[in-house]
Amino acid sequence: MNGAKKIVLAEDNSMLSMLLKFKLEKEGYTLFIAENGKKTIELIEEHNPELILTDIMMPFVSGLEVISHVRNTLNLLTPIVVFSAAGQEQIVLKAFDLGATDFMSKPLSPNELVLRVKRLLS
Amino acid sequence: MGDHVLQNIIELFHYLFFVFSAAAIASYLVLAFISAIETIEYKRKNSYVNYKEIMSSNSAPSISIIAPAYNESLNIVENVRSLLSNHYVNYDVIIINDGSKDDSLEKLIEVYNLIQVDYLINEQIPTQPLRNGIYKSTNPAFEKLIVVDKENGGKADALNMGLNISNSEYVACIDVDCLLLEDSLQKMIKPFLETTDRKVIAAGGVIRIANSCVVKGGKLQDVNFPKKLIEQGQILEYIRAFLLGRMAWSRLNGLLVISGAFGLFDKKIAIKVGGYDRNTVGEDMELVVRMRGYMEEQNKIYKVAYIPDPLCWTEAPDNYKIFISQRNRWTRGTIETLRKHRKIGFNPKYKVLGLISYPYWFFFERMAPVIEFVGILYFGILIVFDKIRWDYAFALIILAYLFTVFFSLIALITEELTYHQYKKKGTGIRLLQIAFLEPFVNHPFILYAAIRGNFDYYFNKKKKWGEMTRKGMTKA
Amino acid sequence: MNTYQILTDYFNHSPTIIQGAWIIIGLFSILIIGLVFYLKYLRGHLRKKERISAAYEQEYESALITYLYAGNEEEKISSEQQAIIDLLKNDAKEPFKRKILIAVLVKLKNEISGEVADSIQNLYYQTELVDYALSRLSHKKWFVIAKGIRELKQFQIKEAYDQVIIHLNHPRPEVRKEMQLYMVNLFDFEGLTFLDLLETPLSEWDQIQLLEIVQKLENQNISNITSWLHSSNDSVIIFALKLAKIYNQLEAKNEIIQLLHHRNKKVRLDAIDVLSYLNVLEAKEILKTDLEKRSQEEQIAVFKMMENLYESDDESFIMKYINHDLFEIKIMALKILKEINREKFCALKIESVNDPYLRIVNFIENN
Repeated sequence: MNGAKKIVLAEDNSMLSMLLKFKLEKEGYTLFIAENGKKTIELIEEHNPELILTDIMMPFVSGLEVISHVRNTLNLLTPIVVFSAAGQEQIVLKAFDLGATDFMSKPLSPNELVLRVKRLLS
Repeated sequence: MGDHVLQNIIELFHYLFFVFSAAAIASYLVLAFISAIETIEYKRKNSYVNYKEIMSSNSAPSISIIAPAYNESLNIVENVRSLLSNHYVNYDVIIINDGSKDDSLEKLIEVYNLIQVDYLINEQIPTQPLRNGIYKSTNPAFEKLIVVDKENGGKADALNMGLNISNSEYVACIDVDCLLLEDSLQKMIKPFLETTDRKVIAAGGVIRIANSCVVKGGKLQDVNFPKKLIEQGQILEYIRAFLLGRMAWSRLNGLLVISGAFGLFDKKIAIKVGGYDRNTVGEDMELVVRMRGYMEEQNKIYKVAYIPDPLCWTEAPDNYKIFISQRNRWTRGTIETLRKHRKIGFNPKYKVLGLISYPYWFFFERMAPVIEFVGILYFGILIVFDKIRWDYAFALIILAYLFTVFFSLIALITEELTYHQYKKKGTGIRLLQIAFLEPFVNHPFILYAAIRGNFDYYFNKKKKWGEMTRKGMTKA
Repeated sequence: MNTYQILTDYFNHSPTIIQGAWIIIGLFSILIIGLVFYLKYLRGHLRKKERISAAYEQEYESALITYLYAGNEEEKISSEQQAIIDLLKNDAKEPFKRKILIAVLVKLKNEISGEVADSIQNLYYQTELVDYALSRLSHKKWFVIAKGIRELKQFQIKEAYDQVIIHLNHPRPEVRKEMQLYMVNLFDFEGLTFLDLLETPLSEWDQIQLLEIVQKLENQNISNITSWLHSSNDSVIIFALKLAKIYNQLEAKNEIIQLLHHRNKKVRLDAIDVLSYLNVLEAKEILKTDLEKRSQEEQIAVFKMMENLYESDDESFIMKYINHDLFEIKIMALKILKEINREKFCALKIESVNDPYLRIVNFIENN
């Protein structure tokens, strides 16, 4: 590996993001954590990450708008994985319409997440 | 002989005045007591409800937010963004541009990528016609948004257009500039869905004052206590009215008013009774009274629910001129509504509505300022004729003042024990200060505005028509 | 002293009503002073409490994260983990701290599954938090019971089944709701058997919550719903109809058709909707015969069904409704006509004399 790959994680539950940060850093990635959509967009613009993980329901700027911003405004092809609570199928569909790469439903399994991240970044 | 009669009349007058005051005080105490019980119950019931599950459900009923806008160009884009960020899933936002003369529509079209669409309106309530038509967004991120551009017809007319256009089961009628918290819709819809023994026809929420609060990106970031006494006084007044007044009325199922700033209605019933009345400045109260009257006439078991959580924040007038014109309008709205529905008053056929709510509103909301005004006039006359019993006057004035302060303090303590919105250090002393000052800083203006309202209602009909066509500049 | 004398004299010589007024003034003054001090105390107290709970919250959050990462392959519970358990167990004795601790555990538990979730549950047992929750189930106060059930549900404590199911028909809807959620969350479709015995109404809110959970289950093999369609509890029937729709219960078709003549209008309406969704053509034929006798809402629901299930021989039936008084029915009838007989539909444009009607026809033609 030459240079740790960067991941932006947008999640408003501080403990979950802490847990995932530990887990993914153990695998050798560099994590940037945002707790709302606005900060997510700032982090993406600043660090140009290799992967974006975002919760779909976030304060103010929703996950959908993050995707829309990345794809349409920044014109980036960075893979985006969205987290959604079950029962939000409609929103997930919309997320895919807007260009999401993959989705995981909450409650999510950290081990599975690591597997998916590895696959997307290999 | 004449003297004797006059003496008797004055005696009677004193007696009535005394009875009125005692009844007012007693009713406040009773309402506060009922409120306390209801608040505890509400807190227990809802302290552990999982709103997340309901909000994400597609089986949850559909809601349309209807927000009329008139010359709101300055903030419309941000306001709409805030409305679109609600966490409920099954809802849409209908913005009614009520013949604005500014560039509201152009701004919305640009920011939200709107295009004109073909739309069939079921005109169940007659309204002013469309102007430029109906718009929707081409961007799927804003697919919940519908913008309607119509000829000016006033707030009630705009809301009626929204009722015609909505395809949802429920409609949330709001002021476009008020800030709804993200979980407001699921909290408001809850009583409609969980009540099994009666039909919930409408739900009203608490209005909180957003002056000096930090609102960023359509979200309430920080709650501050404003500096001006006029704003502080209104905060205290709202806390008193919402926590100690309406809460009790909802327990008694006698709520007459749902604030026009945020209310949720069963659309079918709202349309069935004919929608909002375009001929009153108090369209929010009038609709609730009419819907209640209708349910009573149909002999249906129903309820108007009330949600005490602070879900809707709005900017209150921060100068006396606007404040007075707002209260003037409220007064006329109340008079118009009560007059229009006078057959309900004191009519046992309408149960609680006719025997408790209506009389209470008539005496303690409608008549209170008039009686107070007459009392002050009488006091003045007595001074002029040097007939005043200063010991009586002194004791009673102090008593009235202390009671007001006492009642405000109870309201403040309730607020601390329940929602505790003004957390910052140092605010406590200012809350206390306003509890003691409010009778001097806000009350005289409220009284003046109410008297002006009465005067305008009876002697200045032209004023009303001026206001009806454009939405008043005052809010809430 | 002199002033005092004057005041007492004044008081004693005043009429009773004034004396009374001054006494009440005195009382109010004392009350107000009391309230002022109480308000000051209360605000200070609340602020302090908030600060302290934020501190504990942070402490427990990091303790939890440490606990989750301190596990190793060899031992079930490492010594570092044991230390954390002991600390939390001790703190849990205090109700105030216990509440915060539980909130912290729940905050993460809700968002996570797999091994991590299991270790959080394990921690819940180890710290004996589970015992506090179990003891709540037999409490006198309804809200204590409700909270207890809720917590046991969140930590998936299946052993409490017997103590929870007894609250099946509890007089408070809040307790019943928690009971139902517990059952379905922990026992999947099996848990729904409480519906067999439910005598109290299942509110729309309850139903939505249950559906949300049911749809999240991994195992989507639903048990037989027909017995619920026969329930004497109307709300159970309505719920079963929702299940029938979500799980395409075509096998229950005959039972649902019978419900078209149920005495409860809501049941009839939902039955129409489900039959339409399941494409049951025979239901349409039944409804066509007695449409006029049905309520407005049912008529609209039937036309929604027709929109979905129209056949070419429905034309003469549809033609009767293209000028119906009800806007919704008129629109739907016209839309169906456009699909089954385009020519006839287009002819309407020429025939129609009044403007609004023409507008409707044009709209339907273009959309």
